[in-house]
Amino acid sequence: MLTILALAQKDLRILVRYKSGIFFTLIWPLMIAVMFGAIFSGDSDRMAKIKVAIVDEDATPDSSRFAERLEKSSEFEALRANREQGMTLVRKGRQTAVILIPKGFSEASSRLFYGTPPRVEVWIDPSRKAEAGMLQGLLQKQAAERMQTLLSDRAGSRDMVSKALDEIKTAPPSEGNAALGRYLGELDRFLGTPAQNAAGKQMGSWQPLEVTEKAISAGPSGPHPRNSFEITFPQGILWGIIGCVMTFGIGIVSERTHGTMARLQMAPISRFQLLAGKALACFAALAVLQSGLFLIARLIFHVRPQSWPLVFMAGFSAAAAFVGIMMLVSVLGKTEQAAAGAGWAVMMPVAMLGGGMIPLFYMPSWMAVAGNFSPAKWAILAMEGAIWRGFSLQEMLLPCGILLASGAACFLAGARAFRPTS
Amino acid sequence: MLKFADVWKSYGNLTAVAGLFLEVRRGEIFGLLGPNGAGKSTTVHMAVGVLAPDKGTVTVDALGTPSLPDVRVRIGVAPQAISLYESLTGEENLAFFGRMYRLHGARLRARINSALQFVGLTDRKRDLIKTYSGGMKRRLNLAAAVLHEPELILLDEPSVGVDPQSRNLIFENILQLRSQGRTIVYTTHYMEEAERLCDRVGIMDHGKLLAVGTVPELLAQRGSKPELVVETNGKEVRLETEDPLGELNRLAAAGPVANFRLERPTLEQVFLNLTGRKLRD
Repeated sequence: MLTILALAQKDLRILVRYKSGIFFTLIWPLMIAVMFGAIFSGDSDRMAKIKVAIVDEDATPDSSRFAERLEKSSEFEALRANREQGMTLVRKGRQTAVILIPKGFSEASSRLFYGTPPRVEVWIDPSRKAEAGMLQGLLQKQAAERMQTLLSDRAGSRDMVSKALDEIKTAPPSEGNAALGRYLGELDRFLGTPAQNAAGKQMGSWQPLEVTEKAISAGPSGPHPRNSFEITFPQGILWGIIGCVMTFGIGIVSERTHGTMARLQMAPISRFQLLAGKALACFAALAVLQSGLFLIARLIFHVRPQSWPLVFMAGFSAAAAFVGIMMLVSVLGKTEQAAAGAGWAVMMPVAMLGGGMIPLFYMPSWMAVAGNFSPAKWAILAMEGAIWRGFSLQEMLLPCGILLASGAACFLAGARAFRPTS
Repeated sequence: MLKFADVWKSYGNLTAVAGLFLEVRRGEIFGLLGPNGAGKSTTVHMAVGVLAPDKGTVTVDALGTPSLPDVRVRIGVAPQAISLYESLTGEENLAFFGRMYRLHGARLRARINSALQFVGLTDRKRDLIKTYSGGMKRRLNLAAAVLHEPELILLDEPSVGVDPQSRNLIFENILQLRSQGRTIVYTTHYMEEAERLCDRVGIMDHGKLLAVGTVPELLAQRGSKPELVVETNGKEVRLETEDPLGELNRLAAAGPVANFRLERPTLEQVFLNLTGRKLRD
């Protein structure tokens, strides 16, 4: 045991003196946690707006009102431009998209329940596809709000219905037009009556759907994330773990190339002691790293885990899993450069599929399924479970069990392939 | 002390050691002389138990194979590649290797101080290894090998790439170790070192031990006769002779001798005679 402790102590001493290792192990994960925490903090004033150029080619009071609505919207940072200017701004990357209101917008808007609907064109930067869907949703929202305003204005709505009825009268007779005429006639009479509903209460403004956003928690009074850092610190800790694992994995390769591993092999120590010393050092470093980051999270960013024992359980399992992965990294290349390249090539997908870079909901479904094979996903889930998801001990068993099993499998595979000399 | 009995070792198609029979005696400095690739390092690695022979046995005293930890703890090794941690100080390196060889507490501290003093690095003990010169690293490499006072010390090319001052210090250290009764196996491809340090020398080439003996024995058995070089009547005359004084007197009687020197046979010539090529070819 003394030999194993001596081996671990030596590795930790070297780690402390390795400045870039310290950066990737402690500073980098802290930066990730704080940066993402600030981005996802939910402060609407600081939310990024979509930059758009509005081109109004219809140039009618109706289209102008719609353009003004977009300009005033909190979701857009809009400017007015003509078609050519707008396209140039998008091509140069200064605006994300052009929202073009074509001729005929106003006329189409005045028709209710028949004819083609009002149309806008969205010309988007091909490299900003992720925002295209969001943009479409926001435009639909603006259109719905416009319709809400229109239908809440009974006089304005009546004018629109009257105009439609006049057009139907001059149109060729048909069964459809006759039915629409009857319907619009009834609607005209309805809009002409006092604004009271069947129960005799004053009618409110029309709204297609009211959405209320609520966070899922263990119960009505159960724990929930108090701030965005409770969500982002597990991500940051994951990056710290990965940085630490890479440092130790490459450190083993470095010992092999510099001959110290062969020298250790000549000492009266067993292969088990050698590997156990490496594993203990990595595990201790991961434990200190996680403790340090949790301490910073608690003291500075007001992260309050639901259960410290479960945090310990999650941290222990994550450390054990990544010690196994460290052994695998150490056998991926014969030189430090090869091991670093191969190690990051493995770690990046592991982190990405596990939700360490992009939230899982942004991924296609097959990638979300593939994430189940990433220890990073289970490490984040276990930490979130202990911090704010309100996991019970039983619920923690699945992620922690998977982490421990994958750690053992990786360690055995790495130890089997481990060669002290290159 | 160390015995190889019909030892064979191959790497794929390359035979590194072929049928080695050798016994290193207690308290001697045994030199393994041969060019690069002769099989010296493989022999050392088998002596310390890192490599297992494909055939044959390696034993240390009557204790058994050096692959056993209890046997290995009695062996000290200074590998050819400097095997130290650059980010640790000299003292920290020795403390670490000492703990690998079961030294602890006050005894470890005493041995570290003694080893540092032995190689003349006491005043640099708190400096990181990366600030050491090549010669200083070699000396600390030697200190790590002798720290736990092993009975058998294996030194694999310990003077490679060091300055003359450090080389002399290393030689003095090795002679001092012999005077303490340690058994030393010293591999080198420098014949001068083997001649200067070793009680007995084994000459290796292509994995085979070609000859073993003291330096005078090897020179007598496998070397050429001494060569007398005389400058007389403006000409240089070279004579192989076992009686150089008699030959010189004979030449002096025949005419004036302007200059003369005696060229003794060397291990280089022994190697040439044994293999048909020079040691550094």
